[in-house]
Amino acid sequence: MKIWPILAACGAVALAVPAIAQDGYIIQLLNIAILNAIVVIGLNFVTGWTGQINFGQAAFYGLGAYTTAIATKAGLPWITTPFLSALVVMAASLMLGLPTMRLRTYYLAMTTIGFGEIIRLIIVHWEPVTGGTSGLRAIPGISIFGFGPQGQVQHYYLLIAILALAILIAARIRHSTLGRAMIATKDSEIAAEQSGVDTVRTKLLAFMIGAVYAGLAGCLYASSIRFISPDSFSSIQAILLMTMLIVGGMGSIFGCVIGALALTILPEALRFLGQWYLVLYGLGVIGVIVLAPGGLASLASLLPLRRASVN
Amino acid sequence: MTPEPIISARGVTRRFGGLVALDGVDLDVPPGIVQAIIGPNGSGKTTLLNALSGASHADAGSIRVGGQEIFRLKPHRIARLGLARTFQNIRIFDNLSVIENVKVAAACNSPTSLFNILTANVRHKLSESDIDRNAREALDIVGLVRRAEDRATQLPYAQQRLLEIARALASKPKVLLLDEPAAGMNMTESMTLLDTIAKLKSSGITILLVEHNVRLVMGISDRVTVLDFGKKIAEGTPSEVQRNPQVIEAYLGRRHRHA
Repeated sequence: MKIWPILAACGAVALAVPAIAQDGYIIQLLNIAILNAIVVIGLNFVTGWTGQINFGQAAFYGLGAYTTAIATKAGLPWITTPFLSALVVMAASLMLGLPTMRLRTYYLAMTTIGFGEIIRLIIVHWEPVTGGTSGLRAIPGISIFGFGPQGQVQHYYLLIAILALAILIAARIRHSTLGRAMIATKDSEIAAEQSGVDTVRTKLLAFMIGAVYAGLAGCLYASSIRFISPDSFSSIQAILLMTMLIVGGMGSIFGCVIGALALTILPEALRFLGQWYLVLYGLGVIGVIVLAPGGLASLASLLPLRRASVN
Repeated sequence: MTPEPIISARGVTRRFGGLVALDGVDLDVPPGIVQAIIGPNGSGKTTLLNALSGASHADAGSIRVGGQEIFRLKPHRIARLGLARTFQNIRIFDNLSVIENVKVAAACNSPTSLFNILTANVRHKLSESDIDRNAREALDIVGLVRRAEDRATQLPYAQQRLLEIARALASKPKVLLLDEPAAGMNMTESMTLLDTIAKLKSSGITILLVEHNVRLVMGISDRVTVLDFGKKIAEGTPSEVQRNPQVIEAYLGRRHRHA
């Protein structure tokens, strides 16, 4: 398995980053990139593997963040919030998924766009609870029985560890009966059915797992950034998450991480260009899609050291 | 005494708008034989196969597999009852490796849960090793074990057809439906296919195949059913069917009668 040296190198770089980048702003940006990576890995279950277009991922992200913010501000201990957030997004994705998973791809896209708008409208208009457009501030931080990360560097290490766990779980699912059933459903729904795969259940599970990834990332977002507003979970964010998946490489966990890192950091790195950054950013995205339709991850296969593995 | 048929269909009817693709077809397939469905283009062969496998449900009729009514059951339920199939237009899973393609179907009989997968517990490991063994056995039958780790799309066309057969076998079916398995194969490849079909029959699997190439069918089939315009026009041993005047007319047209 030649993949281990690469993973070890990635891990080493990830751990060394705070020593090089002393700037708090950069670490904060990286923290958001890591959270986005978790959300995109979640999206990959639904869109990358199962082939269902989902524009509701940002709404699940927001649902997790707001659940956590509201719960901790109401005085609930932090330890309950990952469970609360997961429960809320599971319930929401089940209600949304049950009726729509029987339909084909485009219907889910439409339904999830509508869902995203509903969640955004609730956040904006339920002001006494959600803070409306100005959002929620001073959200209590991560604290497990009084212990929690202090400062951005400690948060960074915690989030890196959680990202590693998210990757591990995704890889495990990929190489299980469920993961194979997901990809089979994407490649040929009818052949999957005739091979004994319950494609409706498989699509629903992928959708729910993806939602839980987003919900948990939202929980961590609220309690590590400690400020949330509707803008962070809008439909523009939903499209951005989809772009991260496509630019990084659909179906590749590695691609999800690369895509999330690139598209979170790039806009900030190009900020000195002022208005022009959008032009460059757009050209960059188009360039990747045209030159490497398989995403940035597919470029890795050009390296001679990769074995002929799938994903 | 004739044994209980493994497939028993009555009055299977399928309409596409005004076109009656299947018009009250009855079909009995005794266990352990190779039965062929032949007929000219558009006679309803594939429509019948789709109705049996649940890929495209019949509008009316009764279909029993091993005594169990499967009419309008979802395809995955039918598959789990022991009816597997291949497709006329190859439908392999492009983004999976050869062995993973087969594992999808091999998992049919090894249910697992998300909990087992996430904890990677003993039950999960047992089920994965079962699936792996069944998948390799199925690949071995069609001679594709050496390509197990390759991406499915790297296989040449004829081997992709064999991969579909391996995938169908991995679910340990009682009945195997083959939809034009020799389509696009050259002579040598067709011969290998015939050997494989004979091997499957001797292992006790009932085979129902739709084939365009009548000559190919006659050699391996125990029974032949002939469809024309959605109706069954003849049934019997290959030699009986070949002598049937209605069959000759369906294939050669009126010209034959005038000649």
